[in-house]
Amino acid sequence: MKIVRGVVTLGAAALAQSLLSHYGPALAGYCDLFTIVVVYYGLTCPPTAAMMMGTAAGLVEDSLLHSILGMNGFTKTLISYLVGSIGSLFMLNQTIPRFGILFAATVLDRLAELGLSVAMGRSLDFPGTLAILQHGLGNGVLGLLFFWVAARLP
Amino acid sequence: MAHPLAERKPYLLLLVLLTFNLGLISSRIRSAGQRSILEEAILSLASPFLKAASWVGHGVSGTWTEYVDLRGVQRENRRLGEKIDALALKAQEAEEERQELQRLRDLLDLRDSVPWTTLTARVIARGVDGSARIVTVDRGSHDGVRLNQPVLTPRGIVGRIIEAAPGTSKVQTILDPNSGAAGLIQRTRVQGMIVGEGERTCRMEYVSDLSNVEVGDVIVTSGLDQIYPKGYTIGVVESIGEGEGLTKLVEIRPEVDFRRLEEVLVVLKTEGPPEKSAR
Repeated sequence: MKIVRGVVTLGAAALAQSLLSHYGPALAGYCDLFTIVVVYYGLTCPPTAAMMMGTAAGLVEDSLLHSILGMNGFTKTLISYLVGSIGSLFMLNQTIPRFGILFAATVLDRLAELGLSVAMGRSLDFPGTLAILQHGLGNGVLGLLFFWVAARLP
Repeated sequence: MAHPLAERKPYLLLLVLLTFNLGLISSRIRSAGQRSILEEAILSLASPFLKAASWVGHGVSGTWTEYVDLRGVQRENRRLGEKIDALALKAQEAEEERQELQRLRDLLDLRDSVPWTTLTARVIARGVDGSARIVTVDRGSHDGVRLNQPVLTPRGIVGRIIEAAPGTSKVQTILDPNSGAAGLIQRTRVQGMIVGEGERTCRMEYVSDLSNVEVGDVIVTSGLDQIYPKGYTIGVVESIGEGEGLTKLVEIRPEVDFRRLEEVLVVLKTEGPPEKSAR
């Protein structure tokens, strides 16, 4: 059941992200729904499930973005592990800590992706600090909304 | 005490997954643009969601576009509807004018063909019951209209003037039961008296029982009544019955459609050459 729920969540995220990038490309730049899903699973599921979800979400995102397969898989696996580890150490069920972890995860995801690109010898496509921070803020707000909705689902 | 491997399970899984992803990255870089089997598999798994996204996207886009179009179409429809109404009215007016022109042309042809002074007149009123026994025309004594002057149309005779006021005149049509006109059957030259029957027919009286009359025979004026000029169509024989004594009762359907009578020609003078003074 958990696997089905995970697949459905991933599918819904893929669908929403596709629609967002199609109808609101400017808005899509401020949010990464896959990262939100990964953070959610990292905070609410056991570490193994969270990491599996991180890899799956990253690979689906790679497929959707037509980027190098494994790039987002790598970063999101890492993110899910870190979020799970931090979640086991701190209470992150309040709004501000959740926003903080969402913000941090998003920024870290972007930085890890950039670092991996550089490590692979690709040219650095740095979007700018402000853009990364905006991305983190947007994802933080949207992530809170996601957590609020998820808490009310059966 | 937990098994040491179970404690390290998350780390091991992390290691496996990271290695797996790095393997994917390196294989992707090596294959330089070609998709790996794994990538194809992931794409296949993701494709239903992509298709769903596309379907929903097109649906939303289509619905929105159709809604916007529909609003435009509604406005356009209203505008075109108004245009159609205006054009229909114009077409109706044009058709009316065309028909009037045709009638006036026919009347003009008739006026040119008769060797008398004539005057065109327009029917302005009928009997209060809608019948055409008596009709009023817009020409009167000031225009030279006098009593007993015959009134014609290109299709045949209409009647005679029974009252002439300065600006209008009353015409007693051949449908009126009190009217009378001398007529003859064109084919056999059998003569008789044409009397109106009120609504839409006339009858021919004083036709001998021995005379040759057939349904469809054309009845024309004989000129013996000193009112109607000779040789103008009255109507055609519709039926033949038995009259009083040794006579036949000949039912006639007038050629003139009295219910649609609009323009007529009043014959002012039946002597002398035709004049062009008439309108």
